[in-house]
Amino acid sequence: MAEDKYNLKNPAVKRILQEVKEMQSNPSDDFMSLPIEENIFEWQFAINGPTDSEFEGGIYHGRIQLPAEYPFKPPSFMLLTPNGRFETNTKICLSISNHHPEHWQPSWSVRTALVALIAFMPTNPNGALGSLDYPKEERRVLAVKSREAAPRCGTPERQKLIDEIHEYMMSKAPPVPQASSPQYPEEHLTDKQGDAHEASQSAPAEASQEEVLTLPVTERVTEEPREVPLNANPVQNLPQVPDVGSSTQQLFHNSQQGLPQQADDRLFTWAAVGLTIAIVVLLLKKFMKANGHGAVFMDES
Amino acid sequence: MENQEGKVHADNETTTFVSKSDVNDWENVKDDDIMQQQSAIHAEEAVKILFVGDKEPLSSLADEYKKGSPIMLEKIKVLTERYAAIRRSRGDGNCFFRSFMFAYLEHILESQDRTEVNRVTACVDECSKTLQNLGHAEFTYEDFFSIFLEQLESVLQGSKTSITSDELLERCRDQSISDYVVMFFRFVTSGEIRKRSEFFEPFILGLSNATVEQFCKSSVEPMGEESDHVHITALSDTLGVPIRVVYLDRSSCEDGSVNVNHHDFVPGSSTPTEVTAAASEAVNPFITLLYRPGHYDILYPK
Repeated sequence: MAEDKYNLKNPAVKRILQEVKEMQSNPSDDFMSLPIEENIFEWQFAINGPTDSEFEGGIYHGRIQLPAEYPFKPPSFMLLTPNGRFETNTKICLSISNHHPEHWQPSWSVRTALVALIAFMPTNPNGALGSLDYPKEERRVLAVKSREAAPRCGTPERQKLIDEIHEYMMSKAPPVPQASSPQYPEEHLTDKQGDAHEASQSAPAEASQEEVLTLPVTERVTEEPREVPLNANPVQNLPQVPDVGSSTQQLFHNSQQGLPQQADDRLFTWAAVGLTIAIVVLLLKKFMKANGHGAVFMDES
Repeated sequence: MENQEGKVHADNETTTFVSKSDVNDWENVKDDDIMQQQSAIHAEEAVKILFVGDKEPLSSLADEYKKGSPIMLEKIKVLTERYAAIRRSRGDGNCFFRSFMFAYLEHILESQDRTEVNRVTACVDECSKTLQNLGHAEFTYEDFFSIFLEQLESVLQGSKTSITSDELLERCRDQSISDYVVMFFRFVTSGEIRKRSEFFEPFILGLSNATVEQFCKSSVEPMGEESDHVHITALSDTLGVPIRVVYLDRSSCEDGSVNVNHHDFVPGSSTPTEVTAAASEAVNPFITLLYRPGHYDILYPK
């Protein structure tokens, strides 16, 4: 890496170089990401499809662009491998705006974001921009196809990096589980329910179904320790694990709008009545206070 | 480089190639619009108020309320007895941390208190360990720490890197330094809150009905999130720096007298208690901030 061509006093450059170093010294089996030779703000990545999902065994390539203000502004993500969950060559919607209660934080990193992206794949797209909702079978077909060759993109240097990453991921990715679809036609029917359930848990919920489906394979896979290094502290990686779920929801916004429940309506009516009474009481208090009878309510001296 | 990329595409006949416009088009999605809009708002705000303003006499504060609130004018009059000047900070949600940064560094620059610098440096080391124990990877916070320590070193005179008070002001107005120091404070504040989560939990529940972890993730660590007494207590405790906050709002006393309250946040005293003006002389914080609902500025005593 031509480190000398960058201003090392620039905090963003310093930080990015640190992340590169960290990525190289603590490689993960679930993903790999490195900047392209000529621009450290442009990264290539590949992730393994999450186990126990229709993406299992798939290798999904993509690009990351880091803004000049990194890490104050979030990286942008774009997938290159057709996957049936995200459109390719379209930026994945990151929840960074103030419309979402949680947004990008400078304490996160490319690693954090990739872990979140993996966990986000099996969730319900809910019509989010740039999302696709292909049936599971189609996604499985794409997962198989994704292993055949790395996508082609950009300069020969970039392509070389993509190919290297692909080779690395091929050595780590488990095989795509055999999908015996004719036996399980109800999978499509339960699709919707299953997805809604998944979205709330951000982890594939139909694991039991899968186990019946491909018992020998899943058993082998689940035996592998599934480490999720979120903030990647090699000395102790236990405390980060619980973070993954929450950071997924923080990173990739998933506009979940539950259907309004009829049964709740009456409750809301009573709540409204209660609130009205409370407001009236407060107004009375205020009125008394304004008239000088408020000694009881004084709160400052 | 971008053009080269385009050429390569054109020269190759493979069908799976993405077109040049696709490769370079990162601006096609909402997020960018939102971000651009946000930065436009920030730019607008920046023209109006710098991150850290110039020192102004308190009369400039009174000017703000000339047309309106007589209570505020009365209270500002009371303030004038003890305080000489105000320095405004930008209302971008970071005003508490930004005000604290300038007030603290300015105090070191003026006092040249090397004992204090050594003491706080030790605290910063401790904070770094805390974050590591909480599971943060060092590379995600070390830059913020080192930029704060750099500033701390440069306000001490007598070395090549020393800076004047004008340069300090310049740095605190420079986003690439100022935001990093603000983020440093956010990190140590979050670390302290999570380290002593049992202590902070009831305060946080009272504020936001969130867990300590959620609160730190949504209200402490992200830039632009406003600070509350929880943040102030944690920052004061973790760095061992007492902070006085003078409260200025429209509330009045029932007997018609006008009073200005303040809280002293004293490190070590686990509950921030309201201290009366007379009793607080013992503590004497060297950082005084003026709080008006939703905003903090720096206040200079006479």
